[in-house]
Amino acid sequence: MEETHGKGPRYGMTIDLDKCTGCGTCMIACAAENNVTVLPDESDKQRNIAWMLLYKITNGKPFPHTEVSYFPRPCMHCEHHTPCVSVCPATATRMDPNTGIVSQIYTRCIGCRYCMAACPYHARNFNWYDAYFPKGKGLDKYLSPEVSPRMRGVVEKCTFCHHRLMRAKEKAYAEGRRELEEGEYITACAEACPAQAITFGDLNNPNHKVSKLAKSPRAFRLLERLGTEPKVYYLSSKEWVRKLADNYRPEELQPVIKTKTG
Amino acid sequence: MGITRRDFVKLVVGGVAGLHVTPLPWKLTDDIAIWTQTWPWVPVPPIGAFNHEKSVCTLCPGGCGIKVRKVDERAVKIEGRTDFPINPGGICPVGMGGLQLVYDKDLRFTSPMKRVGPRGSGDFLPISWDEAIGILASRIKGLRLDGSPERLVAIDGNRRGSTLSQLISRLMRAIGSPNYIRCASVEDTYWMLNVLMQGREGPIGFDLENSDFILSFGCGLLEGWGSPGRTLNTWGMWHEQDRKGKVKIVQIDSRASNTASKAHQWVAVRPGTEAAFALGLAHVIIKEGLYSNEFVENYAFGFDDWTSSDGQKHLGFKSLVQKKYSPSQVADLTGVDARTIETLARNFAKARAPLAIFGKGKALLNGSIYEFMAIHSLNALVGNINMPGGVLVHDPLPLKDLPEFEPDPIAETGLKKPRIDEADTKKYPFTEGLIYNFAKAVLGSSGSAVDTLLVFGANPSFTEPDGGLFSRALKKIPFIVSFSPFRDETALMADLILPDHTHLEKMEEILWPPTLQYPFYGVSRPVVGPVFKTKNVGDTILELAKALEEPVASAFPWNNYEEALKVRAKGLFESGRGLVSYEDQAPPWEQMKKGRSPKPEYTNFDEMWDAIKSSGMWYRPIHSFKNWGKIFKTPNYKFEFYSTQIQLAIDELSQTTDKPGQTVDIMAIRASRDEVFLPHQEPPVLPGKNSTYPLVMVLYEMINLSDSWIPSPPFLTKTWFDNELRKKDSFAEINPRTAKQYGLEDGEKIVIETPSGKAALRVTLFEGAMPGYVFVPRGFGHIAYDEFLKHKGVNPNHLVTTAKDALSGLPLWWTTPARIKKTV
Amino acid sequence: MEKKTNSKNTSVVGGILFFLAGFIGSLIVGWVIFPMVLYSKQPQPLNFSHAIHMDPERVDGIEGDTETEKCLFCHEFREDGTFAGIPRLSKCTECHDDPDSPLGETEEEKTFLKTYVASEKEIPWLSYYQQPDCVYFPHIAHVKMGELECKTCHGDHGHLAQLPPYESNRITGYSRNIWGKRISGYKKHTWDRMKMDDCAECHSKMGHEENNACFVCHK
Repeated sequence: MEETHGKGPRYGMTIDLDKCTGCGTCMIACAAENNVTVLPDESDKQRNIAWMLLYKITNGKPFPHTEVSYFPRPCMHCEHHTPCVSVCPATATRMDPNTGIVSQIYTRCIGCRYCMAACPYHARNFNWYDAYFPKGKGLDKYLSPEVSPRMRGVVEKCTFCHHRLMRAKEKAYAEGRRELEEGEYITACAEACPAQAITFGDLNNPNHKVSKLAKSPRAFRLLERLGTEPKVYYLSSKEWVRKLADNYRPEELQPVIKTKTG
Repeated sequence: MGITRRDFVKLVVGGVAGLHVTPLPWKLTDDIAIWTQTWPWVPVPPIGAFNHEKSVCTLCPGGCGIKVRKVDERAVKIEGRTDFPINPGGICPVGMGGLQLVYDKDLRFTSPMKRVGPRGSGDFLPISWDEAIGILASRIKGLRLDGSPERLVAIDGNRRGSTLSQLISRLMRAIGSPNYIRCASVEDTYWMLNVLMQGREGPIGFDLENSDFILSFGCGLLEGWGSPGRTLNTWGMWHEQDRKGKVKIVQIDSRASNTASKAHQWVAVRPGTEAAFALGLAHVIIKEGLYSNEFVENYAFGFDDWTSSDGQKHLGFKSLVQKKYSPSQVADLTGVDARTIETLARNFAKARAPLAIFGKGKALLNGSIYEFMAIHSLNALVGNINMPGGVLVHDPLPLKDLPEFEPDPIAETGLKKPRIDEADTKKYPFTEGLIYNFAKAVLGSSGSAVDTLLVFGANPSFTEPDGGLFSRALKKIPFIVSFSPFRDETALMADLILPDHTHLEKMEEILWPPTLQYPFYGVSRPVVGPVFKTKNVGDTILELAKALEEPVASAFPWNNYEEALKVRAKGLFESGRGLVSYEDQAPPWEQMKKGRSPKPEYTNFDEMWDAIKSSGMWYRPIHSFKNWGKIFKTPNYKFEFYSTQIQLAIDELSQTTDKPGQTVDIMAIRASRDEVFLPHQEPPVLPGKNSTYPLVMVLYEMINLSDSWIPSPPFLTKTWFDNELRKKDSFAEINPRTAKQYGLEDGEKIVIETPSGKAALRVTLFEGAMPGYVFVPRGFGHIAYDEFLKHKGVNPNHLVTTAKDALSGLPLWWTTPARIKKTV
Repeated sequence: MEKKTNSKNTSVVGGILFFLAGFIGSLIVGWVIFPMVLYSKQPQPLNFSHAIHMDPERVDGIEGDTETEKCLFCHEFREDGTFAGIPRLSKCTECHDDPDSPLGETEEEKTFLKTYVASEKEIPWLSYYQQPDCVYFPHIAHVKMGELECKTCHGDHGHLAQLPPYESNRITGYSRNIWGKRISGYKKHTWDRMKMDDCAECHSKMGHEENNACFVCHK
């Protein structure tokens, strides 16, 4: 692990798939918060942009034993050998040693998409087109000045709503504090989730709910065996859901131990 | 001295050398690098002061608290409010995307308009408000002068009892037209159920939060049911790991919807047989003596067989259920095996607070009355009516009615004319509006029974079933006026547009969200100034009334919409004990159960009103539970398995009709004798699967796809999977087994055909779809709005062939015989 | 031979001349013409005298031990810690709604009252120090927490009676102050330049190397 680990906060997230209803509010909260463009044809999933993306999975059983479930997938903000960071030729993406957040600087990005190839989670999107804000249509009226709109030809991805961290810090500074309380900085998706499935906070702080949940026996991460140490944890009590998170060998997948907490 | 080639080279070399000791190349390189990053057409959002303004979302009746993040005067984000009792924190995807409904200019009307192009073309000319109101006023005055004010018709999508709907119906009465047609919703069926079984006029509340066993009959709890913010919040709470006491959720559904998948148990019942399934459960509960003796013996009527005063013997609920709905009989009909029925019935009856809930999908479309009665019988059997965790019986919100007024003689004459849709007549005594009948009457009339149509808060051209019957009717109406803020299908047919504000721009009241278990009233406030030249429809109505001059004008003595709201809200104050804030207190459903609720903070009406305007809420978490001896207002003061109200209605109709024997037919009831008054499974009225239509099309709803009169905000297009919408094609879900019969592969194109029409879409193979059925999502297929929604997918409403639901005459939505054909 | 040498001499001199002509020509282009062409000058919509407004004798309430405190009188922090930057009209009218205030004497002041105050129109000031959209700069972190003086970055313009014309880079659209007034980019004072490297240099010097991570200043 990086030498910086353990010093400052390590922001991370848990997503409780038992609670997740697949409603998609997290995706919309994310897009609205981060000035993500909405193209006239969003059904072109090769070309559209979603920082937070909902994956639909099924247990594959025949009727009437079929079940569906969802994986909301933000950027994993990999802690270890962050794949995108290690390949970027333009130093446009880095893992911030102070927060653990993987940054993406659009003005620095040269659009080579090497990071997209490297990311095992498909968490990165390329701007194939200009952002869709036609003149006079009014769609640019709701853009937030806290997030810089992107130009064609660059890669973008989830930033853990980094600007909200900045917002929280400014507020704290105004009140003469340097430390943030739990909950002062949460992502737009975590805030919006109507079923409270997403918890956000400092994984390094043992008092934060997120760090407790991340240690739950229901917790797992996507493609854990790659060793990228994602800072997004999923919680599920369903074995078939957990199975789809990685290419597990049969003996690797531990059944969920039923406990009272987390 | 001539300049040689050599000299020139030297000049250039000197020049190049010189340039390198100037800042030019270095500065230029830097600037060009920056230039490549700053493209003039990439918007730069203006900075400014941030602030949050609190309000309530009015995009659906759910009443979620929202706070809008603004930069100066621009709204840049909608968020859920944590200081709000309904949705503490989260909101639904439609509410989250609401910004685009405000700012997308192509979705909206930007000022009053009159039509210049052909109907449906969307070719309008902006006009002034004075001119627009003048045009409509003179048209209405003309009708009154002709002595035919009844040729003015209003279709109103606002909720029952809302101030807007009262203002509109008042306007119609003052003008003299009986043809005020309110769009029906599930709330009307809830209302009817309450009248028929409990003798109550009022909303019904499901105390989901306090229940420990939810038996949901197709309720799309995760598809946007009731108040989505509240339902989803409850869902999250149910799944808290450290929650005391587990909740079991059982979903009855014909496909693996999100709710069915995420529920603890999914029971796949054939669509349209839910009543039989409920009665099958009742059979087991009665047979095994698992019902509440206390309730059934003392507070229910018609459980056992009985003899009326005329000596006639009547069938009781118990006998009916024992005779016709044994698990094996029900199994044949519903496709669920008898053992599952038996186990489920036992689990349900043995739970601490079992709750059977009804209202399919989003609980938006009207339901089927006998089905609701059958399901609600389960709540009665287990004695979970007006109990914590059960179905709560309430009075309507204590809002004051607007003061009475006297219609003038012209209006009196007009009001005596028969209603064009026959609703609220002896034929359909429980129904407030029948759009189907209206459309049929318009199409059936030779001349023009209708001269002018006003449309409020509705988009029937899109949402009404039966092959675009309504749109065809529109073509025959000489003058149509739309009050919609959006360029929807119905508005595009209109001749005059008087556009309303969108939800973030207006003050509006929020009535008791559907299925909420405590009285709630809310007020939204304008968080952004009008972006365009629109007007709150409440104010438009008042201005129109003024333009109509006396005596119509004097029926509307209010200067603005807020004054009218205040007149009614006085009733809230007089009823006492309503709370107007929600901070650090226990959730209302907990307060109600514990019987503890804080004292209100206001002392007079004006204080209360100001508090409601700033907090957005009034609610009363006080309830007197159980009270079974007093809550039922039926003739017997009991819960009625056997509805004497139905008997009354039928008697009244048979007295006026010349064919008393056919009364039941007129009311579209297919059962006979005593069954008519009891919960029962109505036999299907449309032909079932046959050789022409071997399949059944079933509608389903998605939480991230609006199917009401509000367009889906473009943000929602991101959340649709590419087996829900791909380019211009929407999908039908079918089981792989069914697909195999038709030689269909995943993603292939088909044509689906029903008695009402046909449409081309693609198939997606889904194991979770019941074999033999075709599932089509409701909400795609707009021909209006802008590039995000227009011409995307198929509108299944137009494929639905409706039969009339018994008693109410409202459409039966969910199943339609269909056939499919593979296309290339 | 002689002739040849001669001609060679003149050609050497001539050669140098040509070289110098090119060289000097380039110097003139690079140092004089280039900046003139690169930047377009725009006057501010209205003159504003910082000198007058910084004078406690003339402005009621503008006091404080440090100059920064005086600056913050108008260039204020909002409650949420964000920085208001160039004051809005409402800030001006906090004082200038008083009919007895000494205004309306000069043409400029008349314009201010007539065009802006009377019609409640915001003054379209041109910001000398506007960073590009991709930059996030929290004033509060620097001014309040870092105790930096305003002039460290903005220079000492509190005594100016005239607003200098705003100069905009024709290629980038940035204000000239970002690169600095000197076309050479030579930096003598901390406020001479506001490029990313200048931020980083200061961070390092102050011992805040960690603040040179990308997501500290970029959004």
